Amino acid sequence: MNINATLLGQTLAFVIFVAICWKYVWPPIIAIMEEREKRIADGLEAAKKADDSLEEAQLAFDQEMNKAKAEAAEILEKANSRASQIVNDATEKAEVEAEKILSSASKTIENDVNKAKEELRQKMSELIIDTSEKILGDEISPEKHQELLKKAAAEL
Amino acid sequence: MASASGEQTSAEYIQHHLTNLVCGKTPDGWTCDHNAVDQMGFLAFHVDSLGWSIFLGLVFVGLFRLGIPKLSTEAPTGIQNFVEMCIEFVNDNVQSIFTSAKNNLIGPMALTVLVWVFLMNLMDLVPVDYLPTLAGQVAEATGMVEDSKDSYFKVVPTTDPNITLGMALAVFVLIIFYSIKIKGLKGFLAELTLHPFGKWMMPVNLVLEGVNLIAKPISLGLRLFGNLYAGEMIFILIALMLTFSSISIGLLGVGLHLIWALFHILILALQAFIFMVLTIVYLAMAHETEDH
Repeated sequence: MNINATLLGQTLAFVIFVAICWKYVWPPIIAIMEEREKRIADGLEAAKKADDSLEEAQLAFDQEMNKAKAEAAEILEKANSRASQIVNDATEKAEVEAEKILSSASKTIENDVNKAKEELRQKMSELIIDTSEKILGDEISPEKHQELLKKAAAEL
Repeated sequence: MASASGEQTSAEYIQHHLTNLVCGKTPDGWTCDHNAVDQMGFLAFHVDSLGWSIFLGLVFVGLFRLGIPKLSTEAPTGIQNFVEMCIEFVNDNVQSIFTSAKNNLIGPMALTVLVWVFLMNLMDLVPVDYLPTLAGQVAEATGMVEDSKDSYFKVVPTTDPNITLGMALAVFVLIIFYSIKIKGLKGFLAELTLHPFGKWMMPVNLVLEGVNLIAKPISLGLRLFGNLYAGEMIFILIALMLTFSSISIGLLGVGLHLIWALFHILILALQAFIFMVLTIVYLAMAHETEDH
C-alpha cells in the first residue's frame, strides 16, 4: 500500500470529471426533466380547467334548457288557450249565425205564408165575387167590387 | 493462469495480482521498470489504476452526455431513461439530505461519484486474470518486458488506496472550502475549538474536533478501499483454486467464484452508494450554520 502521486492524479481527475458533469452533463438533463414536469403540471391544470369549463357549460346548458322548456310550456299553454278561445268564438259566432239564419228563414217562411194567405184571400175573394156576380147576375161596380174584396179579405 | 509459469508459487501469484504498474521518478530519471520501484519517491504514478480510473470516468461522461444523441422532452428512450433515472435517484438523495442549504454543485458531484465509483468497482467482476494476462502478453509482444510475468497490471482502481483517498481528499478540500465559505473563517475555527467543552478547554476541543474532521476523508477513502480490496482478494484466492491440478477443487472454485461474484454485485453497488451518500452528508454538515 504505497501512497504516491497517484493520489493527487486521482484528485485532479475527480475535480475534472465533477466539473464536466457540473457543466455539461447535469444541467441539460435536469432542465429537460424540469420542463417535462412543468408540462405535465400544465397539462393537468389545463385538464382541470377544461373540466371546470365543461361543468360550467353543462350548467349553462341546463339553465338554457330549463328556460326553453318553460318557454315552450308557456307557448303551448297560450296556444291552447288561444285555440280554445278561437273555438269558443267560432262556436258562439256559429250559434249566432245559425240563430240569425233560422230567424230569417222563419221570417221568410212567415212572410211567404202571409203572402200566400193574402194571395189566397185575394183569389178567394175574387172567386167569391165572381161567383156571386154570376149568381146574382148583377154587375157590381168596381168600387163596390173593391169594397167587397176588402171586406172579404178582412173577414177571412 | 497464463501469466503464472510453473514455478510461480501461490504467494507469488497473489503478490503479482496485488502489484501495480508504476511509473515514477528515480534518481536516474523517469522509468516504468518494476525493479526500480524501490528507488521511487512520492513522485510515482500507478499507471494502471489511474488509467482505468480516467477511462471509466470518460465512459461515464460519454454515456451520460454523448450517449443521448437528442434529448427528448416528450418520451425519453433507451439511455436517456437510464440517465434520467440515475439523476432523479441522485437528486432525491441530495434533496433529502440537503434540506436547508442550496448548492448546485452537490448534485453533479454526487452523480459523478455514484456512477464513476460504481464503474470502477464493476471492474472487480472481470475475472482476475483476463486483463493482467492480456496486458502481460501485449507488454511482452511489444518488448516492454522480457517475460510477461514481469508485467504488473491491477485493474480495479478502487482497490488502490491512492484512488479512493484521492477522491476523499477532493471531498475533504470541498468540506473545508464550504465550511469557511458558509460560516466564515471565524465560524469554522469556532466550530473546531469551542465545543464540546466550552472555551476554557480549547486545546482539548481542537484535538477532538480535529480528529473528527480528519476522520471523515480517511474513513471515506479507506471504507471503499477496504471493501473492494477484500473482495478482490477473495476473487484472487478463488482463482488460485483453479491452479491446483485437481478437477474437484477446480469445480468448487468455479462454483465459489459464481457465488462470490453474485454477492459482490451487491457490495459494488452498495459501496458506490455509501460513498455518494457520505459525500453528500459531509458536505451538508459543512453547510450547517446552527449554533451549538
